Amino acid sequence: MIQKLKILPPTIRDKKRYIAFEVTSSVSLGREDIISMMLDGSLYLYGACGTGNFELWVVKLWRCTTNNVQEHRMKGILRCRREEIDSVRAVIPTITNFRGKPVVFHTLGISGTIKSATKNFIKL
Amino acid sequence: MQGNYSSNYNFSNSMFFDLHFHGDEEVIKEAERLGYSGIGLTRYFEDFNSDFLKQFDILKANSNIILKKCAEISCKHPEDLRKKVQKSRKKADILIVRGGDLKVNRAACEDKRVDILSQPNRSRRDSGINHVLARKAAENSVAIEINLKILLKTNLRYRYRVLSQFRHIVELQRKFKFPLIITSSASFKYDLITPQDITALSKSFQMSFEESFDAISKIPQEIIEINDLRDNFVVDGVRIME
Repeated sequence: MIQKLKILPPTIRDKKRYIAFEVTSSVSLGREDIISMMLDGSLYLYGACGTGNFELWVVKLWRCTTNNVQEHRMKGILRCRREEIDSVRAVIPTITNFRGKPVVFHTLGISGTIKSATKNFIKL
Repeated sequence: MQGNYSSNYNFSNSMFFDLHFHGDEEVIKEAERLGYSGIGLTRYFEDFNSDFLKQFDILKANSNIILKKCAEISCKHPEDLRKKVQKSRKKADILIVRGGDLKVNRAACEDKRVDILSQPNRSRRDSGINHVLARKAAENSVAIEINLKILLKTNLRYRYRVLSQFRHIVELQRKFKFPLIITSSASFKYDLITPQDITALSKSFQMSFEESFDAISKIPQEIIEINDLRDNFVVDGVRIME
């Protein structure tokens, strides 16, 4: 049986920030695709050393409707460490393609909680 | 305004411009959605004809943002550059010269009629700008462009080289104070980047928040204002008041 570690007290935990983003692509994307794009983008810009400090994670994703049938749009929330927020924001526009198809990421905003990021920037 | 990208500076109160933009009506609408207040609709010198001017008038009437017509000159010799600048200066609102060749870079920096020197580092190992060209660009108010499309479309293996070239241009700008602008050179939807993302991305070539903010807001606005008054200039420092 795998023993679970006791959760750290809030004062010792890493402080987090949540980046609300929007992704537009010509192909339908899944959660795994977005995670791999984010990690690859970060690895190419900052390397393993930098990416290790970011604590990147895609928390939530929503599919959105668009007027164009050939266009797929999703909104999501990306988690990272508070101290590295500026570096992580620079990774987002560097992702331009996925398996040869064009993709574009736009930052919608930054928030301290998932709830406020959803309310203020995702606006479903 | 603090020098911090995560500061809660309100982007919705500011005007952002992209003066190098190759898109059509659909891309203009997307730029409007992303928060741009004005764009420079650019065509190559060869395509800058009466058909484009007609199309531009229609687009301007249908658009809610400021549209300027820009001509992009691509040439191999400084003489060729002067001829093309002479021909298109009156027709275009903003003149962009595509750099890369050192002689063309220098000729563009020395010509007051040129507004923007685009991609001085194109197909080069160095940045294409040195202290001599930087001083000339500052004297003649020729803006040097940082083209994000080069950065984002370059093979990942060589992206470090473009970042290094951009950093070199930014260092020269700090010393010689020539106008510096950041553009996306977008030709379709997927090339567009929001102003917030541009300020964040510019950190990777050592640009501060204030510098990148000016490069997409204040300096393009000044270029547009100068070009609106250009017909009234008689000599340096003298213009006809209406």
